[in-house]
Amino acid sequence: MAGKGGSTPATYSPSPTTDKKKPSLFNEDLARPDGRSFHQCRPAFFRTGAVNAASGSAYAEVGNTKVIVSVFGPRESKKAMMYSDIGRLNCNVSFTTFATPIRGQGSDHKEYSSMLHKALEGAIILETFPKTTVDVFALVLESSGSDLPVVISCASLALADAGIMMYDLVASVSVSCFNKNLVIDPVLEEENGQDGSLMITCMPSRYEITQLTVTGEWSTPKINEGMQLCLDACAKLAKIMRSCLKEAVSDSQE
Amino acid sequence: MGLSNASEDLSSEMEVDAFRRLFPLRYFERHLAESIRPDGRPLGKARETSIFLGAVASANGSALVKIGSTTMLTAIKMEVMTPSLESPDEGCLAIDFHMPPICSPIVRPGRPAEASPVVSKQLSDTISSSRMIDLKELSLVGGKAAWMAYLNAAFSIMQDIYCLDADGALFDAALISAVAALSHLQIPAVAMNDDGKIVLVSGEDGQKPVNKEKRKLTLRSIPFSLTCILHKNYILADPTAEEESIMETHVTIVLDTSGQLISLYKPGGPALAYTSAIQDCVGLTGQRVKELKSYLDKENSAMEVVV
Repeated sequence: MAGKGGSTPATYSPSPTTDKKKPSLFNEDLARPDGRSFHQCRPAFFRTGAVNAASGSAYAEVGNTKVIVSVFGPRESKKAMMYSDIGRLNCNVSFTTFATPIRGQGSDHKEYSSMLHKALEGAIILETFPKTTVDVFALVLESSGSDLPVVISCASLALADAGIMMYDLVASVSVSCFNKNLVIDPVLEEENGQDGSLMITCMPSRYEITQLTVTGEWSTPKINEGMQLCLDACAKLAKIMRSCLKEAVSDSQE
Repeated sequence: MGLSNASEDLSSEMEVDAFRRLFPLRYFERHLAESIRPDGRPLGKARETSIFLGAVASANGSALVKIGSTTMLTAIKMEVMTPSLESPDEGCLAIDFHMPPICSPIVRPGRPAEASPVVSKQLSDTISSSRMIDLKELSLVGGKAAWMAYLNAAFSIMQDIYCLDADGALFDAALISAVAALSHLQIPAVAMNDDGKIVLVSGEDGQKPVNKEKRKLTLRSIPFSLTCILHKNYILADPTAEEESIMETHVTIVLDTSGQLISLYKPGGPALAYTSAIQDCVGLTGQRVKELKSYLDKENSAMEVVV
């Protein structure tokens, strides 16, 4: 009986009949699939302390995208690594097998770990923990579009929860380009049909960008418009993140 | 003897935390002598348990279970497969247990954690031994209507369990989570399209219904488990990760709701498993089964009210 599981033949998910036509994502009123306006983000929810076994952790929900991040350390680096005057940052992003509508599809985003590392590296004061390593592990529980920005924002909250010294919180938002229209915080359907995308990771208080990723074709004025859109959204997101940290502190004091 | 006297003097002067770190076994034994544990529980009591169904919206069935700090998230996806030749009228149930690096400091990305395949195997064996699910119920055998071509398909239950926080008694939490997700599972309505493939029913023409409506899976006797630590003359139910790492003899007993023993798992350890100790563990597990069954029934009732 148990052996059957191991020798499962090839399977496929029953899915709705695929339409040959690609449906228009926006109807006549220019509303998005979930009813938002073009420059409106999905509601964001953050909570710290999601994993008891970790030095710091955070859980984030933005729309239907759900992410959990754990931070371990600063702890001893592996012996194979050479001596370093500053600390090391190690990041890993993985997806659950059920995160995507088709099972097991999430393992294709191998570049996310590296992008998360680059996004956080500029914000962490590495000199405060020489010779040691801080590990950041992220798990995407449900993927519903704009996964990496949610992972980055959640990771900075987890680092704050762990007491790692940082210059500022890191907030991240992405925008999708459809012909002439810019759509902020895209959902999965919008991401699948976009002409280009732009993701900004920034430290809002310092007004500095730690990462900018552009895909597709963009004109310079369009990039400027997209960047401004994202920076404004990041400032709002950072407020939500700060209030989450303050709540956690006041809760623990009670 | 001089050394032991010195450590005796030192220990009386040190902070409790330092004592706990430096002499963990003696710290625990001091508590056990008073019939209490460091977190305040009596010896035979399990930690607070909560079950939440429907945690993953995109899955056919899902459950989030917490026992103390230990957190398990289970999601089930239904897939269509061709049955094997040995059992052409049966579906299949595959269980995979994952320990992502977020759940514990000792788990690293890349290679799977040591405990992961052990728990996976335990879960598969337990659920198949208990015969909780009739695999024939997953079959999509056609041929009843003259217009229908012969259909050889069955559902495959792909169940993934993720440990989000590892604080001891992983198998217990994983089993409750798996069982809760299966009780929440909705078998989707499917039809066969013109290509002979199975698709979800969407009301379009050209679809021949195979499974006309969503339905729940029939669960027969449901297994529940309790892990205990045997240490000298003590039995500790539902250990935390710290207790598990300090005291080495664990016994996991699985009973179903009719009181039948499904599994007994004792992976080594210095303490001998006398008959009286095993009987005490079975007694504790029996109480735990009643407790967990009431939790699960309450949660399922709440779900039905909502629907």
